[in-house]
Amino acid sequence: MDIKNRIRTFIVENFLFGKDAGLDEETSFLDEGIIDSTGILELVNFIEEEFHIKVEDEELVPENLDSIANVVKFLERKLGR
Amino acid sequence: MKICNQCILPETFPGIKFDDRGICNHCRRADSSSTDPAVQKAGYRNKLDTLITGVKGTAPSYDVIMAYSGGKDSSYTLKLLRERYDLKILTLTFDNHFVSPVAWQNIRTLTDTLKTDHITFKLPWPSAKAIFCKAAREDIFPVPALLRASSICTACIGMVKSLVLKTALEMSIPLVAFGWSPGQAPIQSAIMKTNPSLTAQNQASLKKALSSDAITEINQYFIPENYYAIYKDRFPHNIHPLAFFDYDEGEVIRQIQALGWKEPKDTDTNSSNCLLNAFANQCHIKKHGFHPYVLEIANMVRQRVMGRDEGIEKIYSEQNQEMVKYAKEKLEL
Repeated sequence: MDIKNRIRTFIVENFLFGKDAGLDEETSFLDEGIIDSTGILELVNFIEEEFHIKVEDEELVPENLDSIANVVKFLERKLGR
Repeated sequence: MKICNQCILPETFPGIKFDDRGICNHCRRADSSSTDPAVQKAGYRNKLDTLITGVKGTAPSYDVIMAYSGGKDSSYTLKLLRERYDLKILTLTFDNHFVSPVAWQNIRTLTDTLKTDHITFKLPWPSAKAIFCKAAREDIFPVPALLRASSICTACIGMVKSLVLKTALEMSIPLVAFGWSPGQAPIQSAIMKTNPSLTAQNQASLKKALSSDAITEINQYFIPENYYAIYKDRFPHNIHPLAFFDYDEGEVIRQIQALGWKEPKDTDTNSSNCLLNAFANQCHIKKHGFHPYVLEIANMVRQRVMGRDEGIEKIYSEQNQEMVKYAKEKLEL
């Protein structure tokens, strides 16, 4: 499974409880109430374990984590792709 | 009602799936994690030691501001920060008009015994009442937030977080401490540098949730827009040390009782300071079908800092109807 689908699957299973209607790549997790501020850290925990990376404090910003597209771009940078 | 055979999450918890042994997906994910919790907790203790070494004594006034409710966990956190790290602490109590009189006495006693400065922030009763009534009646928060706390608690804690952060920015305090229990929030949030952009987005969501015709003037409880630029270099670290220090509820109570802390008899089984909590729990259970503390307590059972039977008793006992009645009448609901 590619990065985008792994992130989407995690979000749908853990925050949308299996219902992914309306979740497109650019949907803001925080603005749309899909994930709250604590949930963002659960997402961070998932991507650290799943992709064997360390997310630094200064990287905990919406620009990196607030949509599927932002997370994919962030991970691609971190993984050097 | 079916509950997980390993933790205590019920079949009514959103997204839960049981396997053929009756074990939930939350337990299975924790069991399959490659992270050793003991190693992870030791890492966080080292990280806090290093952080404190770097900031202690560098700020103009206080090393840390702490959200202090007078409950057992925040009292124990206060003791830890004062005695283990000898920090200069400013404690802030948010007077939500439902703080138990015993909790007020505990606040006075422990801030004196531990020699820490203390301030109270009280919003006017009409505003508090309007906010809690709105939180009780309407769906103002997204479902993910309500997995961990009731709507009323989320509103109250959201304001507490805003106020301590605002004060930290204004007074250039490098650490903001909370007494979250080990199951209350993910360990990744136990030491975390706050930043302007994530804070701004969270504040906007909270403000939107709490705003209404009845609550017109709430801006003063939030971070002013210009602070994000003016104080961009002052954003503090949030810390909640109980996530990674040894935690045993009986021992926690024994240690703070030695400082003069007394256990309130007028609160529910999940709070040692708030007289609104039983009503908040009851509203949540009626609306969502699960107890708002169940995820926190299930996490503690899974981490073995609380026995499963004790967890079941805390979650599956009837709410204290006297306390529910008291809050309902006060809120005129």
